[in-house]
Amino acid sequence: MADNEDAGATVAEPLDLVRLSLDEIVFVKLRGDRELKGRLHAYDSHCNLVLGDVEETIYVVEEDENEEEITRTIKKQEEMLFVRGESALTTICNGHRR
Amino acid sequence: MHLSIVHFEYSIGVDPRAWRFLPEAARPAELRSRSPKLLPPPPPNRPPTFAHLTFLPSAKGSMSFFGFDTNLPRDRQGGPAASRGFFENPDPFAEVARASALEDDDAIDFEDTYDGLGDQLDDDQDAFNDDTFGGGGGGTDTGPVGKDFDFFGKTATVADAIGEEQIRYSLQHPQAAPAAGQSAQPAAAPAATATTKRSGYEKYSDPGFIPDLQAKSSVWGISQKKPEPIPTQAQARKMMSLEEVEAQMRNQGYQSSPVPQSISQHMAEPSYMRHHQDITLPDGFPTIPPEVLRAQLERGGPPPGMPHPPPGMPELHAGPPPGIQGMPPHLMMQGNLPPQNLPQGPRHAGPPPNQRPQQIPPPTTRGPNGGLPVITDPQQLVHLTEEQRNAYLVEDAKRAKRNHKIFLLSRGNGLMTPQDKNFITRIQLQQLVAAAGNVADSDPEAVLAEDFYYQVYSQIRGAPRQHPHQPLGHFAQTYLLQTGNRVGGHGNRRAFQSADNHMQRMQQQVQRAVEAAKAKPKNKQLIIEGSLGKISFSNAKAPKPMLNIKRPDSSEGPRPKKLQSDLSLSDRKSILTNIERVYSALMSMEDMERTMPPPPEEGDAEAIQEHMEWRQKVHALNQKLWHSLKVMEPIVPNSTTPHPFIAFLSYPKGKKAIPRIFRHIDQEQRVTILTMIVVHLDSLDVVRLAQPVPGEAQFSVAMREAIDLFSLAVMPSLLGYVNEAPFNIIIGLLGLVIAQTHVQTVARTKVGLGILTMLLSRAEIVKEAGQASERDWQQWVEKFNVLFDTLEPALADIFPGSINSGDDMYVWQFLAAVGIGASPEQQQRLVIAVKDRVMETVAYSKTLPAEMSSQRLGNVNLFMRAIGLDVELLG
Repeated sequence: MADNEDAGATVAEPLDLVRLSLDEIVFVKLRGDRELKGRLHAYDSHCNLVLGDVEETIYVVEEDENEEEITRTIKKQEEMLFVRGESALTTICNGHRR
Repeated sequence: MHLSIVHFEYSIGVDPRAWRFLPEAARPAELRSRSPKLLPPPPPNRPPTFAHLTFLPSAKGSMSFFGFDTNLPRDRQGGPAASRGFFENPDPFAEVARASALEDDDAIDFEDTYDGLGDQLDDDQDAFNDDTFGGGGGGTDTGPVGKDFDFFGKTATVADAIGEEQIRYSLQHPQAAPAAGQSAQPAAAPAATATTKRSGYEKYSDPGFIPDLQAKSSVWGISQKKPEPIPTQAQARKMMSLEEVEAQMRNQGYQSSPVPQSISQHMAEPSYMRHHQDITLPDGFPTIPPEVLRAQLERGGPPPGMPHPPPGMPELHAGPPPGIQGMPPHLMMQGNLPPQNLPQGPRHAGPPPNQRPQQIPPPTTRGPNGGLPVITDPQQLVHLTEEQRNAYLVEDAKRAKRNHKIFLLSRGNGLMTPQDKNFITRIQLQQLVAAAGNVADSDPEAVLAEDFYYQVYSQIRGAPRQHPHQPLGHFAQTYLLQTGNRVGGHGNRRAFQSADNHMQRMQQQVQRAVEAAKAKPKNKQLIIEGSLGKISFSNAKAPKPMLNIKRPDSSEGPRPKKLQSDLSLSDRKSILTNIERVYSALMSMEDMERTMPPPPEEGDAEAIQEHMEWRQKVHALNQKLWHSLKVMEPIVPNSTTPHPFIAFLSYPKGKKAIPRIFRHIDQEQRVTILTMIVVHLDSLDVVRLAQPVPGEAQFSVAMREAIDLFSLAVMPSLLGYVNEAPFNIIIGLLGLVIAQTHVQTVARTKVGLGILTMLLSRAEIVKEAGQASERDWQQWVEKFNVLFDTLEPALADIFPGSINSGDDMYVWQFLAAVGIGASPEQQQRLVIAVKDRVMETVAYSKTLPAEMSSQRLGNVNLFMRAIGLDVELLG
């Protein structure tokens, strides 16, 4: 724990910004047209995330009979989610204040 | 790819390799033209076998390239004679069958290519069967055919080697086994002919013989794979063969061929109805359910009901000569074998019924189940005695139970590959090593870093441990020991032993791994002298770093960021940064708390010194924490941005930090925090944003969460301080509320009322206890009167929402606190102000269920009793 002594004091590396969003609502864009919105409980150096009260949005592109593309969204609610850092494209930490 | 071709060839009952033994004259042209393409090339890495060497001359010497017969007529003349001795299988019936099948072949016109020799052969060759198959003993004349190559002689001398070669090959290439087995058959058969001793059935004439049982998977594969294509061909052959066979039999004076005899033999036995039905079919064997046969295999031998195996399935009950083992049953039954085996008919065909008792040992000596017959058909049960039936049923139930158990146990079988298991074992070992390796460090920091939450948890639980890392130290051993006990606890002796060995091995492995981990250099990189590179070590807990970025030392270098953050204290990022700093400081302080040295004794200078150092560190951390909290930032009146500390409190994590902070700060700092909160009471998010909006019964979810969090996290800390605070501070705080905040705004919120209630009730308690001096009390009453006058017009609005919204207890609590401290005149005004709400609530509670009703009335009574009344009086 001692190595945390000064870690929060400054923003020295990109992940320190993620640290600022701990316990905040974050917005995460994932591979495969998925988005997550939830409270950030934990992260690590691989940007693996643990999110709570997550709303997952999946965008599905379908073709109707006229071959026009229709984007359908599927929403899911998860109590707790582990997000592998590999699958995260962006993590937007600001905004979404309520 | 070539294997599938083999199967195709095989599936129509033609093994191209078998055809190499036929004289060109006897080979159908279609096959001659096709075989070069279809023949699988010998595996490149396969050592040359006799089979190949032997066959090559015939392929090269006499096979035409374009599918035409290049043999001169004079060569063909010698056909019949040439085939004697080593062309053991002219298979006349197959010729015709193939001929009819060929007629719709587009690629090659049958009439054009077929030289008609096959037709000639039909009649001619029968007469020479004796010579051909050794019946007449004239199998040695091989002159005319190979011109200068003694096929038969060579083949006969190496027949054994060929057989062995084929077995070896079929073992090495299980999928190629069918073809190999088939091609081996012709090779081995001539040898048998030459010696007239090897038939593959000799063993059955040995009374003491116990069949060599071999359940070869390829056998099942074959018999189940091919039922489709065979029947057409087989039928086509059969059409021709019936007469032929009969003629043969008559000509040569043999009583019967193996197939008919075995059939008739089984006809007499009703218990084998199914078998004999199957066998009489042209292609009966494959339809015998494999489980029946397997059951027989399990029993260890043919049951009494089946003293002799039907020739259709010799390989199931006995180990026939290697060459025949892999041969498909239908070929043995139909096309090739009968003529070949004719000379030995009496010997290897089914023995006459009167011989049977001698040949078959009593069934009781065989099999594990004491001679119980194999039941393959429900009908059989009828023929058994009562005793046998019971025994059978018991046995059957046992077997079913066992099978079920095996099934249950094996449900997960095959889910993990050996690699998966190894992988997991490795991970587990690495974990154990990591856990055990820290014991060697005996560094409490490392132990904490290893499993921080477990350590904290066990401390909170107060587990009686002398050393915090003790449980981890024995973790590996405990783990292994427990597992060993569990495995060894049940199960038979053998299982126990093997499990024990396994655990021992595992333990040794762990020990070795731990040793290795200890021996490993402790630093994370190794630079070998003279080399340019570095070797970095890694383990599960500390993966090999891909980048090695040096963190800027806290003491070195200028920090432009800090300057900036000083300028804008209240933007979101700097607030969040402050929160993180607070948490860092908190964690450090909590860590310090754990490492507190024992209180020094008198005269122990070293311990005192240690303790002093520790206190200094704690103090430094405290200052850091205090600084990060920004409580002491100057209050800017009428500022548009909230005070940094109030902004800090507007974040959930800021609120959550308060109880932890309060543990690590002194009373001075606590009162400062309380003062800050009270001064900014109306700008707290839970007050400012929690004003009830007319028409909206409830706040947003987020706001309700924030209010609840504040009530749960912050209020108890504040209350904890207020309950011990001196009276003058309470008076000062109340003065601040009145002077600095918009009281009516504050009073309309739960948090605001809560803080006011806190102050009022503390004052009342002080007064009751008689601790308040007269002067102080006068001061208090002054402030209280101001507060009361300010609040009075808004008293009706401090209730949340409508009457049925439920949660109004805190309001009644506040009113009770006001009522107790109020003068009788003030109480009167109080009652008038809230009278409507009281009456409403009483009336409303009558419509509620008893439990909720009494709760609501109880809330009202909090207030009523405070002013000396009771809801009961209201009737």
